[in-house]
Amino acid sequence: MRTNYRINSGVRFEMLSQDQLQELFDGVLHVLENIGLEVHHDEGRDILKNAGAWVDGKRVRIPQYLVKRSLEMAPRSFTIYARDGNPKHDIHIGPGRAHFGPGPTPPNFIDVETQERRPYVKDDARIVATVVDALPNIDFCESLGTISDVHPDLAASYEFAEMFPNTSKPIVAWSYGWDDSEDIHKIAVAEAGGQDAFERRPNYVHYCEPLSPLVSTFEAVDKLIFAARHRVPLIFTPCPLAGGTAPVTAAGIIIQAAAESWMGLVLAQAIQPGVPFFMGGVLSVMDMNAMILSYGAPELALMMAGATELAHFAGLPLWQTGGCTDSKVLDEQASLEGSISCFFSALTGGDLCHDVGYTESGITGSILQTVMMDEAIGYSRRITRGIEVNEDTLATDTIHNVGPNGHYLYEEHTHRYFKTEFWYPNLCDRHNFEEWEAAGKTKMRDRVIERTRDILSSHKPSAIKPATKKAIKEILEAAEARVKDKQ
Amino acid sequence: MSEIYEQIATGILEGNVPKIPELVQKALDEGLNANDILNDGLVVGMNEVGNRFKSGAMFIPEVLKSAKAMHAGQELLRSLLAASGAAQTGKIVLGTVQGDLHDIGKNLVGMMCEGAGFEVIDLGFNIEPEKFTEAIKKHQPNIVGMSALLTTTMRAMGYTIKAIEEAGLRDKVKVMVGGAPVDAEFAERIGADGYGHNAVSGAELAKKLVGAA
Amino acid sequence: MSEVLTSISNAIIQGKKDDIGELTQKALDEGQSAQDILYKGLMPGMDHVSDKFKAGDMFVPEVMRSARSMANSMKILKPLLIETGVAMIGKVLLGTVKGDLHDIGKNLVGMMCEGAGFEVKDLGISVEPEAFVEAVKEFEPDIVGMSALLTTTMRSMGDTIKALEEAGVRDRVKVMIGGAPVNQSFADKIGADAYAPDAAAASDVAKKLVKKS
Repeated sequence: MRTNYRINSGVRFEMLSQDQLQELFDGVLHVLENIGLEVHHDEGRDILKNAGAWVDGKRVRIPQYLVKRSLEMAPRSFTIYARDGNPKHDIHIGPGRAHFGPGPTPPNFIDVETQERRPYVKDDARIVATVVDALPNIDFCESLGTISDVHPDLAASYEFAEMFPNTSKPIVAWSYGWDDSEDIHKIAVAEAGGQDAFERRPNYVHYCEPLSPLVSTFEAVDKLIFAARHRVPLIFTPCPLAGGTAPVTAAGIIIQAAAESWMGLVLAQAIQPGVPFFMGGVLSVMDMNAMILSYGAPELALMMAGATELAHFAGLPLWQTGGCTDSKVLDEQASLEGSISCFFSALTGGDLCHDVGYTESGITGSILQTVMMDEAIGYSRRITRGIEVNEDTLATDTIHNVGPNGHYLYEEHTHRYFKTEFWYPNLCDRHNFEEWEAAGKTKMRDRVIERTRDILSSHKPSAIKPATKKAIKEILEAAEARVKDKQ
Repeated sequence: MSEIYEQIATGILEGNVPKIPELVQKALDEGLNANDILNDGLVVGMNEVGNRFKSGAMFIPEVLKSAKAMHAGQELLRSLLAASGAAQTGKIVLGTVQGDLHDIGKNLVGMMCEGAGFEVIDLGFNIEPEKFTEAIKKHQPNIVGMSALLTTTMRAMGYTIKAIEEAGLRDKVKVMVGGAPVDAEFAERIGADGYGHNAVSGAELAKKLVGAA
Repeated sequence: MSEVLTSISNAIIQGKKDDIGELTQKALDEGQSAQDILYKGLMPGMDHVSDKFKAGDMFVPEVMRSARSMANSMKILKPLLIETGVAMIGKVLLGTVKGDLHDIGKNLVGMMCEGAGFEVKDLGISVEPEAFVEAVKEFEPDIVGMSALLTTTMRSMGDTIKALEEAGVRDRVKVMIGGAPVNQSFADKIGADAYAPDAAAASDVAKKLVKKS
């Protein structure tokens, strides 16, 4: 028996101290109570007022006790379920678990066949979902684009309708407003087997984006109200630019982003106590020369790590960001920026890390980048899994068996562990020079493209129910009728 | 060349907002003419700012300060220039389109255009197509600039151009567009006259559109 | 095909080195010839392993177990094969060259060659050129395999080949070499007959070398 024995399971990562986190936390409460936000939604303001917020015109301020109560009501641990009941595709949100997936809405997409940048089309949503379904280290799905070849109001409805049948991994859904949120929800509920069944086993997450600085827009609030009423787990995620639409300092932008997100938390918990809520925020720098929000900056990884620690301090899961790049192509820059942010995100345990596959600072989605990052995430996950120390892993008996000048390849011990102790790459080449040469001297880029094509030609995601297929058809027909006379 | 011009140009480069009006006043007191103060002092400084920004030696917060200093200098010269018959660079109506509340990009363009000598009328954000047409009638600008940050709202740029056409005003103004998801191809598709990929190029484009560059 | 031969193949694939002896005996008891057990049981299993390894679906420790299983079965079959006049696929003489104490690569090659049906004699580590020459005379192998892990000791490979030449036995054997710093051009330079980049390739190379001769 051991006493007073301490185990560190995995790599320990801690950036801010409890004292510093308390200061950040108090800063958020200060902003919400004393400065407040604009809420551009009449009903939203009414709900907040009834919950105890102070409303003055569009400005809403939230007393500390109400924020704390809302934090208390939101769960820290819960599960988002695979639509097909495959437990391997379930996502268990909870301390120490990092999950990864693509991001929403870039206008462009890198064509898998030509590697050229072009507008995002409907079939791309199928491609992204199929590849996501097959990748071992990608846990949830987003579309990596806004569909350009359907009626503009229906881009989100078609996006979900294309993704849902092609992956059973949970989808993080994006929408314009109430109508398409409803389309999406109907599809998910059809597969789940009704609203009650959906609430027991939610199979998607809804994504709402308020505006920085300090504005909850009508659309963001409308979508949040829809999600909360239907008990859809939701994300409320602003996108502040340090030095532009938020303070230039990391601590300052974290406080502002948290205040923007927690306005959504308070509203959601007022509508539906206990609805799963992800604190959000894509926090990065406004590059003061290129004038873009940098998706490859070290500050993104750093600020997101700070935001993750604050969220966890407050008892919320976080909508992390990583695997993204400012590069326009699948090159060394894309690999460098994406891999480091993936690793950092894995270290923080940020609960859902999105934008894996964003290139060109979020203007172009690339499933090729996602495929490359799948490798970086696998790599990161091996490191964060850490070193297991026990009598068996210490291997003194095995060392005794082999002795000087022997080898370990026959050892039962080796056979027991070599598959789990080692990570095996899918894309990184470890062959000797001759083998590499004989196999065509491929570069990482070539292997990424080949793997993506292989997945697309061979992977078969599990099918949705026939009734859901029918429901999707009807929902899209009704949606088309809804927008028939609109521009 | 007078030493004062050099001081003015340096003041612009340093973004010295309080100093510029002082220097411009001093130059006027020395009997220099408004047109020369503008072209040999302020504009020289601002051109250098543009060069340094492009080479990566200056950053946006600094450029904006220079633009603000430029604007302060021009304000002082405006009445004199008008009296001497030297025209303003032009007039611009700016706005973030309907459904979009993103302000910052459009504000940057406004500040840069003011720095380039334009008179800027900023309509704000979430501007309906009709508001744009009304503003054109009222202010008679040379250029209408539209901004959108979202893929979801960039469509409103097309609607606004249509509204301007329907109001019979399209040939009275040049239309320029910008914003993260916007590109030259999109600008062409909706029938805009130009696309600026950031605030600095927006101001340069504006100058080109009025034939001042 | 007989059930027992299938289970021998499977035992090879699964690396059941402790069960294979019993299975081999069972096959003999059921009246299977040693030759059939080798060519219809062991070899197909080993071929499958080799394919899986090349495809990345099996790993070195697993392949080693399969090779060891093969060798364990061959211990029983060998006297019978010799008795019935069926020749072994060939003889391989192995050693890590003079000055080099690295054992594992050479051991892997030995196991893989045994798995492929060769009779293997392992001279061990830091083997002097003269010791190779003596062993060639005594053991009369088809192939001499040399290993070196260090750039400082790989030169001994050339010395060993020279010693074989000087002793007049070079034309009686094929020489194959391997080890991390070794490559094809080095093999060509020192006059070796073949180079193998890893243990799995080595047994393939060995098979090719005896087919040629």
